[in-house]
Amino acid sequence: MIETAEHRETPPLARAGTLVELEGLTVDYGHGERVTRAVDGVNFVIRAGEVVGVAGESGCGKTTLANSIMQVLRPPAHVSGGRVLFRGENLLEKKPGELRKFRWRNVSMVFQSAMNALNPVMRVGDQFVDMMRAHERVSRSGALRRAEELLDLVGIDPRRVRAYPHELSGGMRQRVIIAMALALQPELVIMDEPTTALDVVVQREILQQVRALQRELDFAVLFITHDLSLLIEFAHRIAVMYAGEIVEEAPARQLHREPRHPYTVGLMQSFPPLTGPVVRMTGIPGSPPDLSSPPAGCRFHPRCPHCDPGDPQLYARQTTERPLLREVAADHRVACHLVEDRGR
Amino acid sequence: MSTQLEVRGLSKRFRVGNALFNRSEVHAVDDVTFTLRPGTVTALVGESGSGKSTVAKLLVRLYAPTAGHVLFDGKDVARDRRRRDIVRYRSQVQMIFQDPFGSLNPVKTVRHHLARPLLIHGVVARARVDARVEQLLETVGLTPGARYAGKYPHELSGGQRQRVAIARALAVDPAVVVADEPISMLDVSIRIGILNLMLQLKEEHDLAFLYVTHDLASARYVADDVLVMYAGQIVEHGPAAEVLSEPLHPYTRLLLASVPDPSLGERPDIEVRKGLASAAVDPPDACRFVGRCPLAIDICSRVTPELVEARPAQAARCHVTAPSPHVREERHV
Amino acid sequence: MAQIQVELPQPSPPVLSAPISSRRRFAPPRWLVLLVRNRKGQVGLGILCGMVLLAVLAPVISDPASATTFSFVTRQPPTWHHLFGTTDQGEDVWAGVVVGARRSLATGALAGLLATVLATTLGITAAYLGGIVDEIIGLFTNVAFVIPTIPLLIDVTAFLHQRGMLTMVLLLGFTLWAFEARILRGQALTLKNRDFIHAAKVSGESTWRIVFGELMPNMVSRIAAAFILTFYIAILVEAGLEFLGLGDSGKASWGVSLYWATVNSSVLQGEWWSFLFPGLAIGVTVFGLTLILAGIDEVANPRLQSRYGRRRLLAALFGSGRA
Repeated sequence: MIETAEHRETPPLARAGTLVELEGLTVDYGHGERVTRAVDGVNFVIRAGEVVGVAGESGCGKTTLANSIMQVLRPPAHVSGGRVLFRGENLLEKKPGELRKFRWRNVSMVFQSAMNALNPVMRVGDQFVDMMRAHERVSRSGALRRAEELLDLVGIDPRRVRAYPHELSGGMRQRVIIAMALALQPELVIMDEPTTALDVVVQREILQQVRALQRELDFAVLFITHDLSLLIEFAHRIAVMYAGEIVEEAPARQLHREPRHPYTVGLMQSFPPLTGPVVRMTGIPGSPPDLSSPPAGCRFHPRCPHCDPGDPQLYARQTTERPLLREVAADHRVACHLVEDRGR
Repeated sequence: MSTQLEVRGLSKRFRVGNALFNRSEVHAVDDVTFTLRPGTVTALVGESGSGKSTVAKLLVRLYAPTAGHVLFDGKDVARDRRRRDIVRYRSQVQMIFQDPFGSLNPVKTVRHHLARPLLIHGVVARARVDARVEQLLETVGLTPGARYAGKYPHELSGGQRQRVAIARALAVDPAVVVADEPISMLDVSIRIGILNLMLQLKEEHDLAFLYVTHDLASARYVADDVLVMYAGQIVEHGPAAEVLSEPLHPYTRLLLASVPDPSLGERPDIEVRKGLASAAVDPPDACRFVGRCPLAIDICSRVTPELVEARPAQAARCHVTAPSPHVREERHV
Repeated sequence: MAQIQVELPQPSPPVLSAPISSRRRFAPPRWLVLLVRNRKGQVGLGILCGMVLLAVLAPVISDPASATTFSFVTRQPPTWHHLFGTTDQGEDVWAGVVVGARRSLATGALAGLLATVLATTLGITAAYLGGIVDEIIGLFTNVAFVIPTIPLLIDVTAFLHQRGMLTMVLLLGFTLWAFEARILRGQALTLKNRDFIHAAKVSGESTWRIVFGELMPNMVSRIAAAFILTFYIAILVEAGLEFLGLGDSGKASWGVSLYWATVNSSVLQGEWWSFLFPGLAIGVTVFGLTLILAGIDEVANPRLQSRYGRRRLLAALFGSGRA
């Protein structure tokens, strides 16, 4: 990919090209009456070259969302509604052969544990070769050369191409995975908790590298994590998920400055700061809901400090009506009954 | 007589490789010294492999030390072999484990987990055990206690399980509680709740807490004192406020520069240098951080630095920022 | 014919939580309830219960004496009077099967029990105590494992004068424990490093109580599976030994019936009923036990509950042409 001066100057949001669009995506686990709705009618957009973060805790549906984009949902998970569009084409209508070409070339994925993704009995270089030859017509030596380039790109000595995964440290293995994800120059790289299992210093090193690569190679990143503070530093835009829905979506700095949804506020209140006075924080009482029988109305209402029977009209809405995402400021959407519609 | 736990020169070495031919040892914990005082939280901060979990296990006698002393109330308990002494120690020093599911027996009720310590140490008469179990559960926020006592671990959420684990540790009314990464496996929104509970219990029972973690932010939130571990050694210690705002040791500075903090705005990239925080095998006499240190000077590769108090109550193991007197002399010559 | 090295798909040490219902103290463990609801478990338990019932009701549903007494009604094919026909010696085959069930099932169960007790005690002790104890027990296990069981038993029984049930039970029990001991040791090893065991230690729990009170209850389903496995292997081995004439040929039992059927050349004379029915009894019982085992596997290992997993299991059980 040739980097042009224009690419570097233009902020990603202004550039053309919606890469991925989720329209009313609904993903269920199981069938019939014991169904669990992991993702419920989600509308979501990823544009070319931008870093979008999805924040949420366990069970909020973020990994399912990622798997839906990659079309790697495993039974009993299945898409039961909505569309998954990549550059306008609905991935749900594609045949398995087309999907195989699409995966890794257009969209690739970095998983949480590299050891799950790397074959322990094959050398690192051979795994690159395998992967590349599955997608492209390339000679073994050509593929190995590319592997060495990629390792260099992520900051690993190219000679480690001959190493086995267990000979590398955790951080290096994760970097190998990232290199493999970039091998075919995809337009979107999905990263699902890529650094959660790593130490904080290694985490920052890797993310710095990814950010540099992202600026250079101009791919979009979908970054999924529970660490909201990390996203605020590294993402352009953040979507907060709770119980299968997106409850707030805004540019990163804006979200940090002005979180509107009580869940986002609570989540921010769960990360003690490193500077400033040490004050008692609150976190969020209760725990994430059981998705096989979620609360009626607003799914967050049992834990929301603003849900109070004292205001009967509002309370009635909160407990019966699902709030929809409404725009409250430029590019800032919130799904909450407490929030008034602005414009549109 | 203050009920404090003092650790002096604690070391733990593990043999690696083939025991017969390979006499290499990994220095998991090397010459660690600190004191836990009642009513305080001491954070032991380090990355994976730094030895912090080993220290925790040494304190609760899951490992036996290779060298060093563990002084409880002035008496060296590290080498006690009699069951009576061991049981008495266990009634004073308890542990909260990292994995809220793994630390509870899946086939036993909550009541069992709390009743056993009560019965082993004779904390209450047998007839009053059930009542005390329920009381303990309510102390940790699981109210009504009677409802939770009969439940099995898989019927509880992660946060609830961890509260049970805390209740279990508290059942014997210990003086010292070692918490080994108690929140790292919990959902983000409930971590603060558990930390607040720990702080509350510390106040109410005048406990000495050792909070082992890799997360500096949570360490700052709860701790009075901080110990920073690297490759088995303590490289810096002092009051939390000082160490985390004006760190002496380059590693502490690196940690602070790496932790995400949105309130700091755009931050400079950290310098990437190869090196691991994990314990070394047969380490030579040198600073273990030397390969990654931006301040390294000649002596750093030749002599292991000592912990030197460079500021009141704040000490670091560094030839540059906290040089010991004769090193300082040597450098001036 | 019966082989000791039965390649049953062993579950990867599944640790099944087996909580007792919080309301009643003596409610059956959850895995047992699930087993009863599981299709394979149902069929298997049904077969086993059916056989046990036959054995228990033997004096009621047959004339026990006719199983081992000479009569002049010889070589009769199945008739209404003799449901399974009669042997060369005029013995009633039906009586032989139901009375024989008592001996075969009892020997198998007791041998299985003995083997399981040995395997559990030694396996868990070796795992938990480790070190030199583990080495010594390991030594015994390996020796017991390596010695070919059937030739050993053939030698020993040929040598012994006394061949009663007790002898058989002891012999089988002391040779069949090694296999399961290794497996149970493996599972105990993985459990031993779980935090709840560490927590019990830190609470001050004594070693005894940890092993029997905390560790073992987590292995109940695996121990039950070990029992079923050794049970059915014992039945097969016992039948095999008796078939070779090394059992107590005076008493009624399935293997002995087969022995006499062979000795009297019933096969050659086309008297299929004198060996088919005892053989079926063995086969059906073992099949039932195998199903129970598969049921326990499925219940304990959620992966086997998928359609794909089930297909593979069936292929493993029946695909390789085992009798």
